[in-house]
Amino acid sequence: MKFKAFLTENGVNLLERRFLPAFDKMGKTCYLFLTKDHLFFLHNLLNGDGVQCIAQFRIDVLFDDYRISSQNDDRIAFSLDVSLLYRAVKSSVSICTEFSGGLASNRLQIKLVKKLPHNCTQPMPFLTFETKGYKSAVIQDVPISKPLSRSQVVELQTALDSAQDLPPTLVQVQDPNQLQNFVDRMKHVGDVLNVTISKHGDLQVQTSTTLIRLGSEFQRLSVVGEKSQAPAEDRNLSAQTRSERAIARGDAQSVQVSVKHFLKSLQCHLTKPDSAFYGIAPQGACLTVIFQFLVPGTRQTDKSITLHCRLPVLDTGSN
Amino acid sequence: MNSSPAMEPDAPDLVCQLDNVQGMVDALTCVRWKRHQDALVELSEHGIVLIVEESGCLQAKVYLQRELFTKYEYGAEGRPRFGISLGLLVDCLNTFSSPGHSNTIEIKYPGPDMELLLKSVDTLNSCIYSEIRTRIPETSEWDYNFEQAGTAPLTFTVKSAALKEAIDDLEWPGSSVQISLQKSPPCVTFRGEGHGDLQIDFMYYVNTDLLLAFHCDTEVSYGYKYKFLKATTANIPGNVARENRGSKLTIGRGGMLKVQHLVSVAKALAPQVESAGYQPPSRIAYIEFFVKPEETA
Repeated sequence: MKFKAFLTENGVNLLERRFLPAFDKMGKTCYLFLTKDHLFFLHNLLNGDGVQCIAQFRIDVLFDDYRISSQNDDRIAFSLDVSLLYRAVKSSVSICTEFSGGLASNRLQIKLVKKLPHNCTQPMPFLTFETKGYKSAVIQDVPISKPLSRSQVVELQTALDSAQDLPPTLVQVQDPNQLQNFVDRMKHVGDVLNVTISKHGDLQVQTSTTLIRLGSEFQRLSVVGEKSQAPAEDRNLSAQTRSERAIARGDAQSVQVSVKHFLKSLQCHLTKPDSAFYGIAPQGACLTVIFQFLVPGTRQTDKSITLHCRLPVLDTGSN
Repeated sequence: MNSSPAMEPDAPDLVCQLDNVQGMVDALTCVRWKRHQDALVELSEHGIVLIVEESGCLQAKVYLQRELFTKYEYGAEGRPRFGISLGLLVDCLNTFSSPGHSNTIEIKYPGPDMELLLKSVDTLNSCIYSEIRTRIPETSEWDYNFEQAGTAPLTFTVKSAALKEAIDDLEWPGSSVQISLQKSPPCVTFRGEGHGDLQIDFMYYVNTDLLLAFHCDTEVSYGYKYKFLKATTANIPGNVARENRGSKLTIGRGGMLKVQHLVSVAKALAPQVESAGYQPPSRIAYIEFFVKPEETA
């Protein structure tokens, strides 16, 4: 199998300034899944716990001169330590700037190699970053796992396909900072978050213990997918009563997730999305958050980058 | 609903609104020296008082007078009292405080189950709400009978930031601090002995920017447990130092120490409007600590 490509300036910026800082917070290791058209960063996709995070980049967003070949339909997958990858990209950027003053000839090449490290008898796989300057080259090796076998790749692809299902109703949170600020402070009060999403565009997050109930409600959010009108008589009721009645009517769903997991998913704000969509999967299987990136200067979704998280549900709330 | 709450039989004891939650968080945090503390809250037509106490040696009170609130509708007969977890109340209020958004909160007591009800006000399309369980308070009063020491009070006022720093420095010597007031030259001494000795003197007429007032006609000296003294300054909010406030200390009969702080509860105004150190009196919360002296061997 072979993989070699040059990271574009845009690609380096996206990774170094936005995406790798977020992935570093999502989990220690993740899978890198390369195909002819896309690069995926996948957290917790195959193990049961934790927040699943799926990031997909179209190749032309990150790379120039992208070459990939393998006996597995030109797909390659391996796992690595995200912090090591982040560090390698960060230092490659500073080396590039130092040597070139930004000249195009100083490009950052990334490729899959097998090397014999010190104190080893067997060659090991690495993802290598190479910067060729005017007089010298700098090489950084990021250790990676043995590339996945054909059957392991099939398993990964299957998990990836099923993780792409969209919830029937999604509500759009335009100001993720407000939600993040609330949940960040709320973590001192409770461990479990009850999330209720209605087809009217209401999102409610609440924690309850024997001593306290504390919640925040966002109303009249934009809805994508199945939507309905809130009945006028519900308007002046309390948030709690309103959501109970919506659930009874079948207009809302409620699930419980861990506060820690929710806060972890909010780390995706480091990627600087334009907004976030929240939805509950059918049968309350998980809480899905989809981050939207717009083409700069427009209101159109940039489909070349997608990022979403799936939070495990602790217990299905009242249905 | 415009009718006076006192005329309705089911009117709550209190409905009040505050336009700066962070101020209330700062005032209550002042008396939070442990993660879990039970507080006693007393409501009256004058305002809200919150009291915490520890092991019969340390008591603190936060006075939030009604002028701090943008709305204060008192409908109770007598003075309702209830117990509540201080840590939970502070952590909960803190979630209502959001940088860049309206921080007006409405507090109501009692709810249908004697809870304390909180909700955010004047926020478009979003709201925060909370219900906190309360307890019936114990009948025994914490009796910290503070009486004047002699014919005239023994008192001094020291810059709050300097007091905090002095107490922080006294952590190293040991578990006990001696506070002495001397008539001539007029001076306050804080002394710790143990792992080494440390003495900090505030001399009146010399450190005029640190010791702001001093009155002593009898020389006194009492010892206090360090951890209780530390609790009186450990959580003073940053704005107290920024606003150059002073803390007033008084030694009462038997050596009971009273420490008083002023904490601003107002929203921060634009820099050109705010004059350093001055706040209208209605925007200040009063904090009082009472520390019992150590038994003399």
